[in-house]
Amino acid sequence: MHPQLELLLEIQDLQMQRGGLADGTLGDMESDVFDIKVEDAISSLDEKVLELEGRLEEGVRKRYQLVTGKGPRVVAPVINGICYGCFVAISTARASETGRNRRVESCDHCGRFLYHLD
Amino acid sequence: MKLRDFFSTEAIKLDLEAETKDDALKELVACFGLDEKSDGILFKMLKRRENLGSTGIGRGIAIPHCRSLVVTRLRIAFGRKISGLDFKAIDEKPARYVFLIVAPPLEVSNQYLPVLGKIAQFSKEADVPDALAALSNPQELIELLESKGI
Ligand SMILES: [Zn+2]
Repeated sequence: MHPQLELLLEIQDLQMQRGGLADGTLGDMESDVFDIKVEDAISSLDEKVLELEGRLEEGVRKRYQLVTGKGPRVVAPVINGICYGCFVAISTARASETGRNRRVESCDHCGRFLYHLD
Repeated sequence: MKLRDFFSTEAIKLDLEAETKDDALKELVACFGLDEKSDGILFKMLKRRENLGSTGIGRGIAIPHCRSLVVTRLRIAFGRKISGLDFKAIDEKPARYVFLIVAPPLEVSNQYLPVLGKIAQFSKEADVPDALAALSNPQELIELLESKGI
């Protein structure tokens, strides 16, 4: 896997966790069952995300900033040739390429970075 | 929704080889049969969650959990280490029973939180630690969950 794609995946996973804590869905559970201080956890995640964002290369960072402007999900899984960010099929040429996830690529339709799961 | 639907017997380890929390997380992640890279990402995310505060909820039970794009559906693994693992648990007691839960960021039926809640509720039942200690094969864990109706 391309190291920058791995970094993007990490950022995305942390942001999902942050989102769940902030909107209360996960936050209530974390605080009731696991005794987590939600506000502290959110600031700790924010710090980590900032640190990881600082490790994005110039070109990737520019695209990342474009995509984050549209919503929290920057990486979309590709399953059976469909981008699960916008539910549009990615080009068949691209879908059949080998060595997927070894390059940083993005969806022609929604711009999200693609992570092939199929 | 029944918890047993998320367990496979290959992901139930009644004698973890791991001697540390980190190794136990790695051993359980490996039960899901993902590639090495995905295992690494899951481990990192689980560690990041542990850094926010231990998932050791006491009475010898820990529930490490995270969401990650590297999994396509919710999965649960169970590991037992009778000699105990240092999980920095709330009651400072070693963790003997580890339920590891991973889920994709978005699931169609949104099962992650209910599953987490059910495992937590199951873990609080008075007779559960002894019942987990007495398991002699993976199938018995499934039967235990069924007998508790979860
Ligand atoms: Zn797309």
